[in-house]
Amino acid sequence: MHRMLMSINKLYDMRAIVHISLVLLLFAFQTERASAQGTVKVSGTVIDADSQTPMSGVTVSRGKETALNHLGQTDSIGRFTVSVPIGTNLIFSSIGFETVTLKAGNVVDSMRVVMKTKDNPMNQVVVQGLRQTKRELATGSSVTISGKEIQDIPAGNVMSLLQGRVAGVNIQNNTGSPGAMGTINIRGSSSIGVSSDGMLTPTSPLFVIDGVQVDVNSGYQYGYQTGSTGINPVSLIPPEDIESFEFLKDATATSQYGAKATYGVIIITTKRGRSKVPVVGYSANFFMNTPPRLRQVLGGAEERAIRLRTIMDYDTASPERSRQEINLIPYLTDSLNPYYNNSTNWQKYFYGNTFNQTHNISIYGGDRVFSYKTNLNYYKENGIIRNTGFTRYNINMNVTYEPTEKFKMIASLQGGLGTKQNGSGVGLFQTGVASGANASSLLPPPTLFSDNNSVLSSESIRDHNKTSNILSNLVIRYQLLQGLQLQNDLGYGFNSGTSDRFTPSFLNNGSSRAENYNDRNYSLTNRTMLSYVKSFGGEEKAHMVSAYMFNEVSSSGAKANTIFLSQTPDDQVEGPIGANGGNSKGGTTNMTDSRQHGYGGTVEYNYMSKYVLNFGYRLDGTSINGPSRGYTQSPTVSGRWNFGKESWFKNVSWLSYGGIRMGWGRNIRPSGNIFNVYGKYIYGPRYNNDPTVTIDFGNIPSPEFLPEIGSDITGALELGLFQNRVEVSLEPYYRSNDNQIIDIDLNNTNGFSRKATNTGSLVNQGIDWTFTFRIFKPERPLQWTVRLTGNYNKGTLTRLPDGSRELLQGISGSVPVIKRLGRNPISNLLYYTQGVYASTADVPVNPATGKRQQLGIGSGFYFQAGDPRWTDVNGDYIIDEKDLQPIGNPEPLFFGGLLNEFMLNRSLSLSINMAYVYKRDLLNTVTASDLQRYTRPLYFDVSGGGSLTPIDQYNYWKPLNADRSVGTEGAKYPNPFDFRRAGTLDPFRTNQTLFMEDGSYLKIGSIVLGYMVDRNFTQRFGISQLRVTLTANNVYTFSKYSGPNPENVTSLGRDVSGGYPSARSYAAGINVQF
Amino acid sequence: MTQERYMYKRLTFAYWTGLAALVLLAVSCSKNLPKERENVGDNSRFTTTVFQPVLGRTTFFQDNFFKGTTTFPATFKIVNPRRWNGLPAPELTDIFPVKVWKAAYDGNEKSVAEIEAKREIQYRPLFDIGEHSGTVTMWSESRAALIKPQPDSGYRFDVELSNSGGRKYFRDLKLQPFYERPFEPSNRDAITGQPVSNGVFPSGIRIKGTTKGRYLGPFDIQVYIRKVDRPGLSGNTLTFRFLDTLFNPIDPARFATTDWAHLVHGFNMRKTATEVTYDVAYPLPAITLPTRYTNTNGDRASVWFTFDRLGFGGFADNGLLALDFAIYEPGNWEIVFAFITDNPKFDND
Repeated sequence: MHRMLMSINKLYDMRAIVHISLVLLLFAFQTERASAQGTVKVSGTVIDADSQTPMSGVTVSRGKETALNHLGQTDSIGRFTVSVPIGTNLIFSSIGFETVTLKAGNVVDSMRVVMKTKDNPMNQVVVQGLRQTKRELATGSSVTISGKEIQDIPAGNVMSLLQGRVAGVNIQNNTGSPGAMGTINIRGSSSIGVSSDGMLTPTSPLFVIDGVQVDVNSGYQYGYQTGSTGINPVSLIPPEDIESFEFLKDATATSQYGAKATYGVIIITTKRGRSKVPVVGYSANFFMNTPPRLRQVLGGAEERAIRLRTIMDYDTASPERSRQEINLIPYLTDSLNPYYNNSTNWQKYFYGNTFNQTHNISIYGGDRVFSYKTNLNYYKENGIIRNTGFTRYNINMNVTYEPTEKFKMIASLQGGLGTKQNGSGVGLFQTGVASGANASSLLPPPTLFSDNNSVLSSESIRDHNKTSNILSNLVIRYQLLQGLQLQNDLGYGFNSGTSDRFTPSFLNNGSSRAENYNDRNYSLTNRTMLSYVKSFGGEEKAHMVSAYMFNEVSSSGAKANTIFLSQTPDDQVEGPIGANGGNSKGGTTNMTDSRQHGYGGTVEYNYMSKYVLNFGYRLDGTSINGPSRGYTQSPTVSGRWNFGKESWFKNVSWLSYGGIRMGWGRNIRPSGNIFNVYGKYIYGPRYNNDPTVTIDFGNIPSPEFLPEIGSDITGALELGLFQNRVEVSLEPYYRSNDNQIIDIDLNNTNGFSRKATNTGSLVNQGIDWTFTFRIFKPERPLQWTVRLTGNYNKGTLTRLPDGSRELLQGISGSVPVIKRLGRNPISNLLYYTQGVYASTADVPVNPATGKRQQLGIGSGFYFQAGDPRWTDVNGDYIIDEKDLQPIGNPEPLFFGGLLNEFMLNRSLSLSINMAYVYKRDLLNTVTASDLQRYTRPLYFDVSGGGSLTPIDQYNYWKPLNADRSVGTEGAKYPNPFDFRRAGTLDPFRTNQTLFMEDGSYLKIGSIVLGYMVDRNFTQRFGISQLRVTLTANNVYTFSKYSGPNPENVTSLGRDVSGGYPSARSYAAGINVQF
Repeated sequence: MTQERYMYKRLTFAYWTGLAALVLLAVSCSKNLPKERENVGDNSRFTTTVFQPVLGRTTFFQDNFFKGTTTFPATFKIVNPRRWNGLPAPELTDIFPVKVWKAAYDGNEKSVAEIEAKREIQYRPLFDIGEHSGTVTMWSESRAALIKPQPDSGYRFDVELSNSGGRKYFRDLKLQPFYERPFEPSNRDAITGQPVSNGVFPSGIRIKGTTKGRYLGPFDIQVYIRKVDRPGLSGNTLTFRFLDTLFNPIDPARFATTDWAHLVHGFNMRKTATEVTYDVAYPLPAITLPTRYTNTNGDRASVWFTFDRLGFGGFADNGLLALDFAIYEPGNWEIVFAFITDNPKFDND
């Protein structure tokens, strides 16, 4: 029993010291025998086998491994001195290292203890549900990534660096906006919801940052999963301070987290103090960001010539008409006037290289009884787009206090402050810049008098966005009896964002605008847990039962207010008085408040660590549930068989470990809002001259409203081969996300017009794989580790309301999407383009009417040579919306990464990380709009026309005879010059397969070259560790995609030219420890 | 069995068990997912349920089907066409040679042969439904001799709509054709198909009469559109003649400023002192498309006979006699303009 208790204690120690992906492997070897009796003073140095540097903070204890008696710790230069009886076993232990046991014998001074990093992956500590366990006992799916992997690369958002590193976690850095976060989906997107502006409802996993739940899915703006100030809460965590990431991927692992954990959980744990002597660390990175390759555009005379030629050749009316049109445009005719004679490089005004820096100071120390850590971080990144940038200030402190074995307290407090400039964009979209950079080169350069003032607005808009957050967490644990523990976790997170924005009057038709926005949101979770562990079964304690139950209450809320002042007195006075009251407005724009109560527990049994069975159960009631729906159940059942431990594998030397596991579970996510359940009451008409409050007849209350439910089955095969030099993990899974909200229109006799129903379902099935190869033997000076991760995921839409087979959804300003049962959940609704009509005679003719195929019914617009050949699906010789077909899948079929790490002599390291996506359909709206601009030769401003890219790069249709009824065969793109007809035909519309491209890519994400300076050299200057790094990030993307960047697209796979391009960065860094 | 072999077998067993479990998991889960298929919508319907074409001309009904949630491609088929009394109506499903367009008519053709080259004979039912579109066509080869026109109650038929999502029947659609009216404007009654007047009236006129000096109105002129059978005519001709009040021919040359070459989309003009004859391709106009030979809608050929004269006081008086018409049947047709109340004044005042 005692032994059991100690091992449990150890388990919890580790939790206290953070979820480090390392574990103790007892590793004993004999030293020379000592025979004398009596107490001796033993002293010596502990050295890290990897770096050959002294290790501070190593615990020295004695006794059996199960009942350690703490003796002391090593100091800052790795020395220790203890007094023990001769023959005592001295045990040296440190997190992440194999424990060393030495007998205190004849050698009593200058004892040299070499500690090796532990590397048995099965002994890693992983998080399962609410507790930690060894990986060999884990029945759910979780992956641990050490913070060390990404710490050398400066990044505004740390998640961007994890791309391709974890199998099944799809991170797409689809925005380069500093401080924002790309999309993260674990095992495919779990939502079929698409916002009216064309963003897939984000299904980011739940972030648990030092015990505080941070839900990045709520409060997002524009679907890019970013707070309204454009700063993601995760961006406020300094990468340098992160100890580890833990990715929980299936319901078995996540269901105990309850609501919000349906899409997976990412646990981010920051570092803890673990050195008796205070250690001061400083690291800095200086980096340069460069914009991606900019578009080639025609300048000045060249552009003018093309526009003139287009108008003269293709004006259908008459040459006189063409000349008249041209004469109205001085940019085309008055080239002798210096004002109109320009060749402006607009992109130069917006994009440029920037120089940035980040600094991090950490101070930590302490021993087993009391330890502390403080981390200070500063990060400043100027965006590659003018007047944008992100600055982070962060302070993170934690203490651990464990006066006795019975009592332990961990408290952490983290405060972050981020500021951001958005320029002329809003949040993540840089629409102003995108259109400004596309302006015609014939327009004069930016001045107060020029037509194009997007440059001015990107510079002159006074814009300040600030997000601050506080995350605090308090864990208190008390051991009531042996094996019986009581623990309370309290987490509180508060996030507040403000945004001030002032647009001067000269940018806004003479009326200035001041906007003030502020929001705050909080989440509070308290969980009380009682756990019990018992092992029995003779000497070897073959049977072990562990169980816990918990009760959890949580609440979260958010509120956003906006004030909007119009026409302030002048551009220096931003209010509050003097504004035009009639046009100004303000108020609360968003408010939510929700409560949740959950309770449950798990029981786990294992026999000899060979067979593991786990049952979990959780009940949840949420304030968003319909009142008649009560509590929702989230059960899990899972098991594991470590077949490698069976006796028949005893003599199999090549198998280091082997296990299979399988689990089923489900989890809920409160979706929708309280209005779905109770309806919304609004200000109504006056009655007897009194104001009234009436129900909003837009949405009918639905007391049956349910939370979303995710359920999954996951299996896994885990193998370690050849002394763990090859590790394999294969995890097939099947996950269903049910009860998704779909609004249905009600019969108009009902009074209400819509009802939110829980009638959408989708299924994701696929497999994750991770292969790790250690190419050389561990003894070799050169180490090469290859990690190949990947995921195959296939999403299927499985349910729609009322037995429908498909559901169409329009998107403002973009291609509509269609959700069809049995297909991938979201498809584009497109015309199928089969090339271009080479000659007019190729256009099909209606045998009854003798007319060529036409566009739209009764439009009188007939197709001719040079027009796109769109498939007439229903054969009515009319191209209209009946010919649209669901085509394409914006979700990647495969994604993953390849990591190569080289280490020479434990001092020189090189790490290359790559990420790939295979089979993803993108809509290349960039090429479409490039070509569209050719069809608007009369327009110069950004709304109508704009800069022209060289046309010769496109294989487009060219006429071969005078009446243009015959032209080039096999052209890919329609005639871009036929501008009169293009107004109706819109040959470069984006809803056609012509612009649907394969978005597969292979990206060299980061290259890090690091060098650890020889310790003997640095010690002369009082430096215990000095490391210098050279880093390149977002290095190169290999892709057949013809647009700018296959990754820089929306979650629906649309290349929005208003997006923020991802910068390439080069950094030089230094890391010093004193 | 040696120890090694035994162990090897156990090993293999464990390996295959694990693999089989994974494969089973992957396979078993996808079995019950819905398959992607097309859909036949509950809300799909024909927006035109009574088809009333005029026999003898090609009538094309489009935009007659509301797609609703049906997904295309889908297949339409006319099933069970029957007479009003329920007896089968093979005349609707029997195959006849019909003339269809294979290339687009655009009004710029230079000869009858060029127009004819754009058409061909195909074998189709006279009452035809677009296989994938649901559009309905009554071909011009339909005749009252074959198909019962009104005042008969006509026919009923069902349409089967099918795709991989299932099938649906739209029942009791009605076909109630009218008698042929081989030309427009027509002097025939729509129901009986019998002439109710001698002639029709011109579409436009600005001509002064000789006797009273007043401008003539449309009712002062009768237009007779009729088939003639005279030797020397090829079978597809159109002749214009003008008669005075005494039914004596007026020389077409009196309409001096008429653009004879482009009067109609006809060729090989033969102008005599009594008539003007063209070789044409029927129907005229060939299709409903605005060309230089048609009115602005494109559904009628438009002929303008013009002349200039000096009016009283030396003012110019531009004479005009215009007719918008259509002829659907091939044959030797003539259009006679008879001035029945007063003769036109061609001379200067």
